[in-house]
Order: sequence, then structure tokens, then C-alpha cells
Amino acid sequence: MSTLATRLQCASDLERYRSELVAARDPRARRVRVCIGTGCTAKGSPKVLESFRRAAQELGQDVAVVETKCTGCHGFCERGPIVIVDPGDVFYQGVREEDVPEVWRESVLGGRVVEKLLYADEASGTVARTHQEIPFYRAQQRVVLALNGVIDPTNIEDYLAAGGYAALAKVLTSMQPEEVIDQITRSGLRGRGGGGFPTGRKWRSARNAHGEPKYTIANGDEGDPGAFMDRSIMEGAPHAVIEGMIIGAYAIGSCQGYIYVRNEYPLAVKHLSIALGQARQMGLLGENVLGSGFSFDVGINRGAGAFVCGESTALMASLEGRVGEPRAKYIHTVESGLHGKPSLLNNVETWANVPQILLNGAEWFASMGTAKSKGTKVFSLVGKVKNTGLVEVPMGMTLRQIIYDVGGGIRDDKAFKAVQTGGPSGGCIPGEFLDEPVDFDRLTDLGSMMGSGGMIVMDEDTCMVSVARYFLQFLKEESCGKCTPCREGIAQMLEILTRITRGEGRPGDVETLQSLSDLLEDTSLCALGKTSAYPVLSTIRHFRGEYEAHVLERRCPAKVCSGLFRYSIDRESCTGCGLCSKKCPAEGIHGEKKQPHVIDQVKCINCGSCFEICPFSAVVKI
Amino acid sequence: MPLVTIDGKPCEAQTGQTILEVARRHGFWIPTLCYHPALEAYASCRMCVVEIDRGGWWQVVTSCNYPVRGDLTVRVNSERAVRNRQGVMQLLLARCPESPELAELAARMGVTASPYPKVTEAQRNCILCGLCVRVCEERIGASAISLVGRGVERSVAAPFRMPSEDCIGCGACAAVCPVGTIVVRVHEEDVEISPFKTRVKLRRCDECGRAMETELVEQVLRRRGGPTLVECLAREPLCPRCKRGKSARSITAAVPRDGIGKSF
Repeated sequence: MSTLATRLQCASDLERYRSELVAARDPRARRVRVCIGTGCTAKGSPKVLESFRRAAQELGQDVAVVETKCTGCHGFCERGPIVIVDPGDVFYQGVREEDVPEVWRESVLGGRVVEKLLYADEASGTVARTHQEIPFYRAQQRVVLALNGVIDPTNIEDYLAAGGYAALAKVLTSMQPEEVIDQITRSGLRGRGGGGFPTGRKWRSARNAHGEPKYTIANGDEGDPGAFMDRSIMEGAPHAVIEGMIIGAYAIGSCQGYIYVRNEYPLAVKHLSIALGQARQMGLLGENVLGSGFSFDVGINRGAGAFVCGESTALMASLEGRVGEPRAKYIHTVESGLHGKPSLLNNVETWANVPQILLNGAEWFASMGTAKSKGTKVFSLVGKVKNTGLVEVPMGMTLRQIIYDVGGGIRDDKAFKAVQTGGPSGGCIPGEFLDEPVDFDRLTDLGSMMGSGGMIVMDEDTCMVSVARYFLQFLKEESCGKCTPCREGIAQMLEILTRITRGEGRPGDVETLQSLSDLLEDTSLCALGKTSAYPVLSTIRHFRGEYEAHVLERRCPAKVCSGLFRYSIDRESCTGCGLCSKKCPAEGIHGEKKQPHVIDQVKCINCGSCFEICPFSAVVKI
Repeated sequence: MPLVTIDGKPCEAQTGQTILEVARRHGFWIPTLCYHPALEAYASCRMCVVEIDRGGWWQVVTSCNYPVRGDLTVRVNSERAVRNRQGVMQLLLARCPESPELAELAARMGVTASPYPKVTEAQRNCILCGLCVRVCEERIGASAISLVGRGVERSVAAPFRMPSEDCIGCGACAAVCPVGTIVVRVHEEDVEISPFKTRVKLRRCDECGRAMETELVEQVLRRRGGPTLVECLAREPLCPRCKRGKSARSITAAVPRDGIGKSF
């Protein structure tokens, strides 16, 4: 990375520097962008990046500008590692280290396209050259993730050249704090961390609160199973979060900020640290930001991985160096939060929206979304869907559009069963609501919630009782244990659910689950306990029949719960190879060679070994 | 002055008081377990929940730490408040089915048995109210014990579950424990704070040999007590009973027998 400019003294310095950066960029430059987001990294992208860098070095100086850079998550993790070659914005997917020489020779130097690495649509067979041609991206609208995959998150110049910190300059030079809060209020932005509280109203309360100093905090303690929205934002565009925080601090009159990020996100910690250092060096953070007289600095605090620390009061306790346990919020944290001082806590994604709103105006933001849920929302689309990854869509898009248009439908063309939104505090939404718009209020009506944006798609092979049990198990492990209902109540509910999935359910179990759910919602100390019953309540509400099948008929309709279904051998498909018989630990499969085999149901222990080993799929669950 | 209406009865209150304080002052009984007037409210047992009017809907809050900041309408004995308190008690009973103290409170709340099985392990009926930990930290200043572990694994223990090096053996933890989990056992030479296995050396009365406070408690009292207390401690190490006896003897020695009555 080139040496940074000296400290920017004022907003016009910033604009001058930005135009210099833009002018210095050669539009003909050949550029290789390699995703080093967590998904692609897991699939080996660092080695791909390394190979490209090596190739660039070996090339010497005689070829026109070639730049190889890393970028944050593109979202299409399913097809990683992702490499984009400019000019032309050519989108290569599934690039392995051994593909690098070819891409380098053909695409980067030769300007030709390496067909075999392009995305080909499964259904139509059409090949996409750029990401806009891929259905996964076509239906998305990227505001927060706009720069993910475009800029190098470790290079502030990239962010500046893309218009970064322009919103901050605008705010500091031409807006009063009240005007900033007005803009946020009129934009209709609501908290992206789960609760959906109107951000403008929170900022106004924090501004009006008495007490000094005031703290500005970013909540990056994302911990929902299967969720990686905030992670990708922090990894891919850390400056957007920091810029949002500086603006928020200016609006409420805060001089100290913290980013609370879990230590399990090492890349996010690294990129945020680099970004903070760069912003400080350039005078965008610290004393006298851009010569405005306003001072604000941000520190990073790494969480030790307790899910409950995503709860605001527990997070603040943890920031104070105490055990991360929640406390009552009868006096809100905007009045008395960190160290008993007014504290403004917003989720990472909320912060990342802020610069965009101030740059483009509240009306622009409010033009996206539904009546009460504005803007876009990032979801991590995972589970039994073809295109798993990170998607950003306008609020109000239907579940069907997200799952089928963006997600490409259900994997292996199985039937859709439910989609789980909102993490462990959310619920499961069945097929009949696929055409419902996704916004804060509608999801709540359906017995689920927006949450921070986890979206787990389930197919016909998913047992909904087991799903509820999975989330309760998670919550039991993550409950801090401070309050009685959460600690004891979740353990009781889990006990009942475990019993049901073992085929030992009793009549009345469902009713007990419901009354425990009511108790937890009413009496738990924090949101973890209050919402812990949602996975149970929503599955009872939408899939009651499945519970009843388990309890009354000792049958698991999805054939997941061991012991609640049987294995059988299909006479037509069985070739009599004998593999299953050899594998069976109970010696319960018999048959003549090359003749259909039979499972002795008395001996069968339902281990599933035969099901897994059969090469002809002749062993079936009944 | 804010007016708090509890179950229809107008109750005078001061800003900053908790609902529990106002209710108790006006004769309402609300069960509590983790509450102690000498300690900061912790609101972990959830036994004291009541309903408050939020303008169109009723919110369930813990009365021990909900501050009165303006006029407030409260329901202590509504069906929902009672059901919730009983529900929490049932969960605790399932955890500690053998605690007579808990059974007694439950009976007073109209709960005779728990519909739930025992699924969490409690050390000697510990309900994890945290009173012991808080009194040790807030009042004694020793912080010898703390709540360790998460969720159902939570328990009260000294660091590393070893006998505490910071315990002064004052027994405050045992005194506030509502279910008798913590017990002070007096041995020949020292006291044992059970179940922490902490032992602290005792002082004994010079005259009768009866056990008094521990040496560490005496040191703390010397450090923290005013000049009168320090002077008191500096006298012979006698138990209160022997002290009284000694005073009585000195008075009888000083005053002639027939003088009693005349001088008063």
C-alpha cells in the first residue's frame, strides 16, 4: 500500500486528496480482485491471492499497470473462491490455485475470458460474464455491501476513492447535530441488530441524555448460528462502520467510542484495527477531526465469545471488564449505559447505513423498503438453498423472491418446508407464507422476527421438533444463568423436546411447552430468555401436526429422529451386493448373494449404517 | 410526589424508591429471594414480579429494582402476576425439591409441588440468588466468593474452587443465604465456611474459652472501625458474656452493698 497522505487538515483537503486518488487511477489498469472473506478464505483464497501476487512480481515492470488486491466478501460464498478481473469486471468462481496461471495468462494479460471458471446457471445453462448477469446478484440491491468485493478493506485510499468519508465531511462542514438526527429519523432507519428500534429516536434520546462523557458503541458481537452479515461488513468495509460511528458521535456529542467485536472474528479485528489506525493517521479520527474542532476516538474491545454479550447491557458490562451479564433496562442505556453514562449502541450494519443516508439523503433511503421498514437488509442465506451466501435486498421483498430468485431454490430440488429467521430468538415460517414481504413487523406477526438477518432454509427432510430442540440446546449453553426462568426454564423445555425427539413424549407436553414459553417471555431478565421460546412457539404454531406425530404416534414425519422411523430395503433397487449386511453392527440384515436383502426389524438398532453404505440407495426410511 | 396505585390502593411514594419498597411500606406482601435491603438490587430470582400499566398494555417487571419516576399503576395480585411468580417458584422447586425454606415460601405463595422434574443440579439447594456473593463484595469488601460458570453450570465458589485466601470468616454469606446452602461450622481452632472448605482461625475468650470472631475479622474491624471500636478491641479478648460478667463484678466491687438504691 502506498504511503498515506499527511494528516488532512480540513474537509477541502479531503476532497482534494480524493480527486488526486481518482485521477491517479489508470482506467486501463488490469486489476485482479481476490476475495479474502471468511468463506473464500476457507476455500483457499489466500493461496490464490498469493499466486496472483507472485505472478505479478515475476512479470516485472514492462507491462502496463497490474494491480492485485484483496477484497471483502462478495456474498456468493457457495461459489468461492471468487476472483474478479478488471477491466471488464469478469467474475470467476471456484478459482483454485492451479487455475491461476491460466487466468493470469488468458484473462489478465490477454484480455480473454476463461470460460470454464465462469458461472453457469444450472437451469438455463447460460453463462454469466459479470456478476450482474448472475441471478444471485441481479435481484439484490447493495447499499451496505456496495463496496464489499470492490475495495481493499485494508487500504483507506480505496475507500476514499470510492467516496468514503464524504458523508463525514458533509456533516462536519454543513450540518448541525440536530440536523443529522433529523435526517436519520426521517430516513426511517431501524436497528439492524434485531430489535428494529427507530435509530433516529435512539440518537435523539442519547443527545438529550444528561451526563458526560457519552459513549458511542458498535455492536459486532454477532453470534447467531449461521449468521455472518456483520462479520462480512467489518471484514470487507470497516471504514463504513467507523465513518457511521464518527457521524453518530458528532450527532450526540460523544468523544469516545468502542467497537465490541468477538475474537472469533480475527479478520474483522485485524481489518478494523488497520482501518482505525489509518483513519487516525489521516485526521479522520482523534483530536480535531478534519479541523472541525470535534474530537472522537474509537477503541476495539474483543469479546470472548459469549452469545449473551450481544445483549446491550451484557455487552456494556463486558466492556467495563465485568462478567458479561445483563441487567434490567428500566433505565435505558442511552441514559445510563457504559460506566453509568449515556451510551449509544448500534449494530454494525446500522452504523454502516449511516454514511449512505447522509450522503444520499433521508428521502433516498426511505424510498426503499416498506411503509415501516426502510432501506435494505443484509441476510445470510444458508441451509438447504442452492446459492448460500450473503445477500442484500430491499425491505419488503418476499421470502419467495429471496429464497428462489436470489437463493436459486432448494438444493437437490427437494420440497421447501420452512425458513428460520432471526437466529435463536426467531421462528420458523412455513411455505404458505412464502409470499409475505420481509420486514420487521410482518415477520413478528408470523411468530418470527427480523433479528440480525440470519435466514436458514429447511427442506422436507428437516424435523421441526429437532430444529426447536437444536435452538434450545444452543440457548441452554449460552444462557448466562443469572435469572431463574432462563436458566431453569430453558433446561426444562429442552428436557421435554429431547424426550419428544426420542419418542418418549407424553400427552400434555406441547401444552407444558406453551406455558413455559409464556412464563419465560414474561419473567426473563433479558431478551435472550424472553425470546428463547420463539423457536418452540413458532414450530408448534405452524407444525403442530409434527409434534403430535412424535408424541401420539411415535413417528417422526421427516424421518430424522432416530427410533421414530424404520429402515427398509427396497426389493426393486437392491442388487444383493451384501455391503449393508457386512456393515450392520446388529447382524440384522440377511439375504442370498445377488438376491434382495431384508432387514430384521427386531434386531435393527436404527443406526443408519446400511442407509449410508448402500451404493444403490436401496435402503429407505419408512 | 409521585402517586403509586397498587391493586387500586393509592400509595405515597418518593422518586427513586422501588415498587417493592413502596408496596411493603403499604402492607403488600411480595415474595423475594435475591433481595436484601442492605444490598443493591440484582433482580435475578424473578420472584417479585408485578405488572405495571404502560398505557394500554401491562408489562411484567421485577418490583425490587423498578424505580418510581412518576405516577405508576401496579398490579401485585393480578392473575398474571401471581401465575408468573408461581411459575418461577415451580422452576426453583424443581431445582431444589429438598429445601424446607423454599417449600415454606412456596406454600405461602400457594404452590405445593412442582410439575417439573429435576433437570439442573444445585449444590445443597443453592438457588443462585447471589446474596452471598454480593454481601461479601458490597458490604464486607472481601470478594472471597463469586458466581462461576454459565447457565445451568453456574455455581457459587471461591477462585479455582479452592479454599478462599480472601475469606475473613465473618459468616455474612451464611447469614444472608435464604436456603441454608452456606453453613458456618465452628471447630476447635477455626471456623469453616462450608461448602467452600475455607477455614479461618478463631479467637477465643480469655476467660471462658468460648469461640469469638475470627482473627481476620478482628483485623478488619481494627482497620475499618473508628477509635472507640479499636480501643474496645484493644482491651482483653473477652466474649460478650464474660465482658458483662467482668463489668458486673467491677460494679459490685466498687459500690457497697447497702449503697445500692441510694445512689440512684
